[in-house]
Amino acid sequence: MTVIEIAGVSKRYGATVAADDVSLTVEKGEIFGLLGPNGAGKTTLVECVAGLRRPDEGRIRVHGIDPARERARLRQVLGVQLQDGMLPDKLRVGEAVALYRSFYRDGADTGRLLADLGLADKVDAPFEHLSGGQAQRLSIALALVGRPKVAVLDELSTGLDPQGRRQIWELVERIRDTGVTVLLVSHFLDEVHRLCDRVAVLDRGRIIALDTPDGLVAAEGGGQRVRLRVAGALDRDALAALPEVTAVTGEDGETVVAGTGNLMHAVNTELVRQGVTVTELRLEQATLDDAFLALTGRTTQENSDD
Amino acid sequence: MTDQITAARPGLASWVRLTVTEAKLVLRDTAGIVVPLGLPMLLMVMNGIGSDRTGVPELEGLPALDAVVVPMTLAMVVSMIGIVNMPSFLSAYRTFGVLRRLAVTPASPAMVLVAQVLVSLAQSLLGVALALGVARLAFGVEAPRSPLVAVGVFLLAAAAMYAVGMLIAAVSPTVNSAVAIGLVVFFAFFALGGGFGGRDNLPGWLADVGAYLPFGASFDSLGFSWMGVGPEPGQLLALAATVVVAGAGSARLFRWT
Repeated sequence: MTVIEIAGVSKRYGATVAADDVSLTVEKGEIFGLLGPNGAGKTTLVECVAGLRRPDEGRIRVHGIDPARERARLRQVLGVQLQDGMLPDKLRVGEAVALYRSFYRDGADTGRLLADLGLADKVDAPFEHLSGGQAQRLSIALALVGRPKVAVLDELSTGLDPQGRRQIWELVERIRDTGVTVLLVSHFLDEVHRLCDRVAVLDRGRIIALDTPDGLVAAEGGGQRVRLRVAGALDRDALAALPEVTAVTGEDGETVVAGTGNLMHAVNTELVRQGVTVTELRLEQATLDDAFLALTGRTTQENSDD
Repeated sequence: MTDQITAARPGLASWVRLTVTEAKLVLRDTAGIVVPLGLPMLLMVMNGIGSDRTGVPELEGLPALDAVVVPMTLAMVVSMIGIVNMPSFLSAYRTFGVLRRLAVTPASPAMVLVAQVLVSLAQSLLGVALALGVARLAFGVEAPRSPLVAVGVFLLAAAAMYAVGMLIAAVSPTVNSAVAIGLVVFFAFFALGGGFGGRDNLPGWLADVGAYLPFGASFDSLGFSWMGVGPEPGQLLALAATVVVAGAGSARLFRWT
């Protein structure tokens, strides 16, 4: 069942095109990633889904609801964790959750929600005393307290340490396990790879790829390289003739063998057959970073024109 | 599937909770409540000690403490809370994304506005009650001779000050600018309205302007209610006009994010 439908959506701010004919669908129970560098139009798209902005063109439906026209109904099914949303310094965790719970007719059990998010012992802590990770978890709690069918999580692990990020990721998976559909906005490839069932890569307002994370990596060229150094002569043509190998290149005495399938085993067997002494051998898996670089010509860290 | 999803606005319990929460936040902001609650009492004490309760013929036989200091203090409390405190709170909420976060829940950000106004009105009433209590118990200040007029003028004055405060919150890009604009506007109204001494010390045209700005109009009208003299219709009209113009302007200009 399609939960979020985005069809032909465009949004401009003056001369800047924030969304250019974007179309995608998110199915029930999916964790769907919106990936792209800063300024790619991720937040604009999310704000259109959340009913905070109206697209210039195109159609958006969330559980059949038009966010631009039926915001009040949308609020019953959509929970949103926005980037940079703060709370008053003196507001305590328990008060914030109880207040947000009161906005909904049916909502989550606040005690259990706080326990699930590891905030049970922070009930009386004012917002100003929370760490980045705690504030982020509270933010997620507020997005989930109305028991939404769809949750939008925008840059949820920005500013967290590695341990905090892993905790948040486990949390997102638990949220999905309760049947909630998740739209995850991120510019972290490892996050997207770990969590998302499917990913749309956005660049300058356009979708330039839409696939599973592994699909994106595979599309980039199968994704394996063996780098090796040997003492003595190496028959590179014999390596290149192997069915698993797609290319053999050399750099500074190092041989790079690109290919697919059980590449390492094939290369090893050939090296043993040639009887050369291997001094260095390592396997590189292509990552989503490589795929992203190939797709956009840039890394996710470049192009900060947001 | 979709037709069972119906819009549901937060109920009364939610409004009450939001208002109580706002009140707690205001109380926890200790520095913010010292001025509106402490300063009026201090003014009462300082002026009360120097007063010998001699009636002044020009003030319909009332001592200056009753006919001038008490009305001035009341006008000061509402203008300070409405023009300085409330916009700084609202502006902080907007700057730090508190309103934006509310905008994605069934709660309307307008709920925050209403809660803010209710809480700061309660704050004003508390400040007024404390000042009047001190004036009454320590210095024997009389109740206004026209009590209903006094209440009506006070509410009109509060509405005018809040409208100006909302306009300031609407046009201030940052929290600091909201506080700065609020203070400048407050002191301008206060000085021109006679807060730093009689308006007769000002050039004539400036004194006339000050009399129709919210502080001067509230101050004079409250003074008249204490003396039992009918208020100046022009000044009441000026207050009402402030409510309409500043209120409409802020409604037009206010940005939630």
